[in-house]
Amino acid sequence: MNIRRVLTNFILIILSFIVQTTVFRVLDFGDIAPNLLMILTSATAFIKGDRQGLICGFFCGLLVDVFFGTYIGFFALIYMYIGFVVGKFHEIFYTQNIAIPIVIITISDFVFGFVCYVLMFLFRTKFNLGYYMMNVIIPEMVYTAIVAILYYPLILRINNDIDEKEEKEAKKFV
Amino acid sequence: MSPIIKRRGDKFTLPSKYLLFILTIVCTGMIVITFNTSLFTGPLNSFTGIFIVPFQKGITTVGTFLKQSGDRLSSITQLLSENEQLKEQIDELTIANTNLEQEKYELTELRELYALDAQYENYKKTGARIIAKDAGNWYYSFVIDKGSDDGIAVDMNVIAGAGLVGRVMDVGPDWAKVQSIIADNSSVSGMVLSSSDNLIVSGDLELYSQGLINFSKLVDEADKVKVGDKIVTSNISDKYLPGILIGYISTLDDDSNNLTKSGTLTPAVDFEHMNVVLVILEQKKDTNQ
Repeated sequence: MNIRRVLTNFILIILSFIVQTTVFRVLDFGDIAPNLLMILTSATAFIKGDRQGLICGFFCGLLVDVFFGTYIGFFALIYMYIGFVVGKFHEIFYTQNIAIPIVIITISDFVFGFVCYVLMFLFRTKFNLGYYMMNVIIPEMVYTAIVAILYYPLILRINNDIDEKEEKEAKKFV
Repeated sequence: MSPIIKRRGDKFTLPSKYLLFILTIVCTGMIVITFNTSLFTGPLNSFTGIFIVPFQKGITTVGTFLKQSGDRLSSITQLLSENEQLKEQIDELTIANTNLEQEKYELTELRELYALDAQYENYKKTGARIIAKDAGNWYYSFVIDKGSDDGIAVDMNVIAGAGLVGRVMDVGPDWAKVQSIIADNSSVSGMVLSSSDNLIVSGDLELYSQGLINFSKLVDEADKVKVGDKIVTSNISDKYLPGILIGYISTLDDDSNNLTKSGTLTPAVDFEHMNVVLVILEQKKDTNQ
C-alpha cells in the first residue's frame, strides 16, 4: 500500500459516489440507479484481494452512511463484508477475463439488495418480497451489471498501471 | 513469531480477517453511538462539505443546463402545434377565470372565518436546489445546496410549490439532507381539512411507483371524510408546522377493526420532477413559544 494507491482509491470512491448520486439519478430507469460503489468494492476486492476489498468497502459504505444513512456504520458494515467475501475469489480466478468479475459483481449487488431488504424492510414487517424483488433488487442488479461491463475494465486498467509503476520502483531500489 | 502479526519484508501487516474483525467492532460501535447520540455528525458533515458537495453542485448545475438546452431544441416543433391549442384554451380559460374570481371572494371570506392566521404563505422561507439524491434505491432522501450557513437547522419543514415535501434530517455548513414524506421510513401526522380528523401519513415503496402514499389510523365515526378531501399537516405534530397541504385522498377503506380507516392519498407535490424546494425557516417548537 503506497501513497499512490491510497490516493487513487480515494479519488475513485469519491468520484463513483458523486456520479452515482448526480449523473445516474438523471439517467435512471424507472427511478432505479446503478450501484457504482458496489461495482468499485467488488472489482477492487476481486483484483487486489480481500484486504483491499474490505478497506474499500468500508470507506464506500461510510460515505453512503454520512450522506444518506440513518446510522453511521450500517452500510459500511454491509459493503465491508461483501468486499471481504468477494476478495476470497481473488485467489481462485484470473482478473483478465471479463465474464467472471461481471457475474461476481452482479451477484454481490443482488446480495446487497437482499440484505438491505431484510434489514430495512422485513424487520419492519413488510413481507411483500416479490414486489421489492421485481421493482428494486432485480432492476438495480441488471443496471449495475450493464454499467459494470464498462466500469470494470477501467478499474482493472488503473490497478494494473499502479502495479506496473510499483514494480518499476521496486526494481530501481534493487 | 506471533500468530497475529505476519512478517512481510520489513513491514508489519495485519491479516485481513483480523482487520475485518476490528472494523466490524468499529462499525457496530458507531451504529450504537449514532443510534443514541449525535456525536459524529459535526466533524463528518464538515468533511463532506469540503470534499463532496462542491462537486455535486457543479455536476447538477451542468446537468440541468444540458438537459434544459436539449429540451429546448426538441420542443420547438411541439410549440407550433401547441400554440394553436393554447389559443383555443385561452377562450375557455377566460370563462373559467370569471367563475374563479367569484369563488375567490368566497374563499377570502371563508379564510377569515376559519381564522387560518398561520397560513404557510406567511412563513419565512428560503429556496434551495436539489444537488444529489439517495445513493440506494430503497429510501427517498436528497441533498440540497444550503445548510447551517443559510440558517437551516434540523427538523425544518421543506415544501415545493403547493405542498409538503419533507423535513431536514441532517445539516452541514453548506448542505442539508431532506427526508421526503414518500420515503418508506417516514411518517407524518396529518389531518383532514374538512373534518379536522387526525390520521397518520406514511410513505410506502410499493405505492411509490404509482405516485401514491399511505395513510392510516383515521378515526371518522361520522363518515364525513370522502375521496378527494384535502389532507394537511395536523396541529398535534411536533415536527411539522400546521396547515401545510400534503395531498388529496384517492382511496378510502375501512380497517378490519371497524374503528379506523386507511387508504392512499395523492401528494400535492410532483416528486419526480422536483428541482427546487423551499425550506421554511421557522420551526414548530419556535412558533409555539
